[in-house]
Amino acid sequence: MRRGLLSTAVVLTALLVQADIINRLDLPGGHPDLPVVCVVALALAGGPTYGTVLGFFTGLAADILPPADHTIGRLALAYAVVGYLAGLVEDVEERSVVTTVAVVAVASGVAVVLFGGIGALLGDIRITAGGLTRSLGATVIYDVVLAPFVVPLVSGALRRVEPAG
Amino acid sequence: MRDSRRARLILAMLLLTAFTLITLDYRSGGGGPLRRVGNSVFGPIERAVAAVVHPIGSFFSGLGHLNSYKSENSKLKTQNEDLLRRLRLTEGDQAHLASAERLLNLAGRAQFRIVPAQVVAVRSAFDFEWTATIDVGSTDGVHPNQTVINGDGLVGKTLYVGPTTSTILLARDPKFTAGARLEGSRQIGRVDGGGRDPMTLTLLDSQAKMHVGDRLVSFGSEGDRPFVAEVPIGRITRIEPTPGELYRTGIVAPYVDYTSLDLVGVVVGQPRTVPRDSLLPPSPTPSPTPSGTPSGTPSGSPPPGAGASPSTPADTSASPRPTGTP
Repeated sequence: MRRGLLSTAVVLTALLVQADIINRLDLPGGHPDLPVVCVVALALAGGPTYGTVLGFFTGLAADILPPADHTIGRLALAYAVVGYLAGLVEDVEERSVVTTVAVVAVASGVAVVLFGGIGALLGDIRITAGGLTRSLGATVIYDVVLAPFVVPLVSGALRRVEPAG
Repeated sequence: MRDSRRARLILAMLLLTAFTLITLDYRSGGGGPLRRVGNSVFGPIERAVAAVVHPIGSFFSGLGHLNSYKSENSKLKTQNEDLLRRLRLTEGDQAHLASAERLLNLAGRAQFRIVPAQVVAVRSAFDFEWTATIDVGSTDGVHPNQTVINGDGLVGKTLYVGPTTSTILLARDPKFTAGARLEGSRQIGRVDGGGRDPMTLTLLDSQAKMHVGDRLVSFGSEGDRPFVAEVPIGRITRIEPTPGELYRTGIVAPYVDYTSLDLVGVVVGQPRTVPRDSLLPPSPTPSPTPSGTPSGTPSGSPPPGAGASPSTPADTSASPRPTGTP
């Protein structure tokens, strides 16, 4: 219960910060994706089942959060997979910072590729090979930069709320 | 991996749900019930957050170390600090005012009826989408498919309209297409947003010529939806060599800076005619326009025959001209 409340709060904050602040920054290449980093952080502490459900609903919220303009369900699918994959790493003993950062990097890449891939299948003209490559590179790099700050904070908060959930 | 089986089952179920959602939304062609829910639920929240976040940037720079003064100086120092802060805030406000003035100036010259709006959120989904949320909606008289401008020119068009917020499609977006006309000539063509790539112009007439430096204005749509005519779009900076192709493509540098959008206006009404080329930028010192209130002008309903007295094309196109400094 408390875990649900905490993750809802974290995810909603991440989505709003992303839309209202991060996306407005004029960064070269692209932007970090804070919701992905937060989903990974929560899934790392909560396991695959929790990660999948959390990822799905985070993605669904991101799908309908204005100014989104893509087929609803694309981010829900991508984030659900990300949450599942990150949750699988939950049991690894003594996770180091390097593991965490690697998981964030892989998760960000998977999210971009799934989102872009489904878009390409649906004939979304926004998805081009060049755009996908650039978005992939930028998102992964920026998320890796964010990870060491966000992941310990969020995972730690979740563990404190519900030890060994 | 205690519950890996259960996790896999749930993953499969949720993926199936996601595919179902995608199929449903794809078939409804966007703007379905979920999108409307998102607009009416998250729109106001985003708006509120932006209202808090927006002034913080300028506020933080001005707030100094207010607690550390104890001596006689403290009063003077805080006063000084406060004045400085006010000065800085005023600088931010002045920039805001300047953009508002430019917007009103453009709208006033064109006699567009606009609803001014603040951009509260931009872009989405890993930078594939060049969209923005603005803080006006159907309660302010905004409808889908209306032109959005700012003081520099064409910003985009409205896409989804919620009660108090709307989503706009920026002209930079790959999905964006608008009719355009070359300044001076009668050549018309199509402007396409390129996303991360530049905007392009394709002329309809394959024999027609375009030159580097030619300026573009919007070519009005039927019934002024989604685009009103004569809004400045940009300038041609390069002409793509397209050997073997029927149509020539020009690279367009837009007047609007889509990365730092602040104040925009949704055009909700326009006069019957707008003087040709009268809105293009290079009239460096805009004279104080005689009709400063754009909201008082007649709306889009065309009265055939009677629209002669104050808003004749010849009248308004004459006014910006005499400001040519040597």
